[in-house]
Amino acid sequence: MTGSSDVRKKALLACILFAFWVIFTATVALYDLVLGAICSAFVAALTVALLGRALDPRITPMVLLRLPVFMVRLVWEIIKANYDVAKIILNPRLPIDPRIVEYRTYLPDDLPRTVFSDSITLTPGTVTVELEGDVLNVHCLCPYHEEGLAGLEKLVAWLFGVKRDG
Amino acid sequence: MAKDIVAGVLCCVGTFFFLLGTTGLLRMPDIFTRLHPSTKCDTLGACSIIIGLAVYSGWSWEMPKLVVIACFLLLSSATCGHAIGRSALRRDIGYWRRKGTEVEDGDGA
Repeated sequence: MTGSSDVRKKALLACILFAFWVIFTATVALYDLVLGAICSAFVAALTVALLGRALDPRITPMVLLRLPVFMVRLVWEIIKANYDVAKIILNPRLPIDPRIVEYRTYLPDDLPRTVFSDSITLTPGTVTVELEGDVLNVHCLCPYHEEGLAGLEKLVAWLFGVKRDG
Repeated sequence: MAKDIVAGVLCCVGTFFFLLGTTGLLRMPDIFTRLHPSTKCDTLGACSIIIGLAVYSGWSWEMPKLVVIACFLLLSSATCGHAIGRSALRRDIGYWRRKGTEVEDGDGA
């Protein structure tokens, strides 16, 4: 873990830390910015020295750039599905037909899989109750809620730049 | 003025979703179905209240902080819903099925 890629990772971590610093200190005075820059660089260097790595290697600048777009699209999905669940709750007959379905994902790694299952849980109508290897057990409020899973999976695959290959 | 109206509307929408979430929590038959309204409608309710507050605060330093709070809220809500569902599944708590559909497949509980 030496060379320019190591420096780049340190710089990326320092940038993220610095962004949080600016948000939480809530000033842009020169003194605070300089102090924040020094602290961020110090913490980034210390992290690499202690843990041997800066950020999870799967968190690349591309993922960070796509994250806001991903969040907006996820929130849109959440709003749509919330409207749907609200209708079910307010329906006097409570038209639910819950079941636990197994879903096999093609996402390759535990990080994309975690993001995927968290997205499923955030989307009303579906809750991931178990994630074992590449199989997710998803509790659906109605059978048709299962149909939204593939779209979410595509969204997560796009975030991490995963191509589907069988 | 317009800012106050937008913020007020967003807070009212948030409160409405909290009400829906609570209603759903009371109406649903078992632990799995209760997860849906409680973790979801509450998330959207809390988020729209937070966004309403962000609009109310305008272009100030409170806004990014509130956005960060909303992100953490989404993360913790998803994690907590998953944790409850998983522990219920591991304890073999059977889940509620609509009458007449229990025999069609043998998965889950």
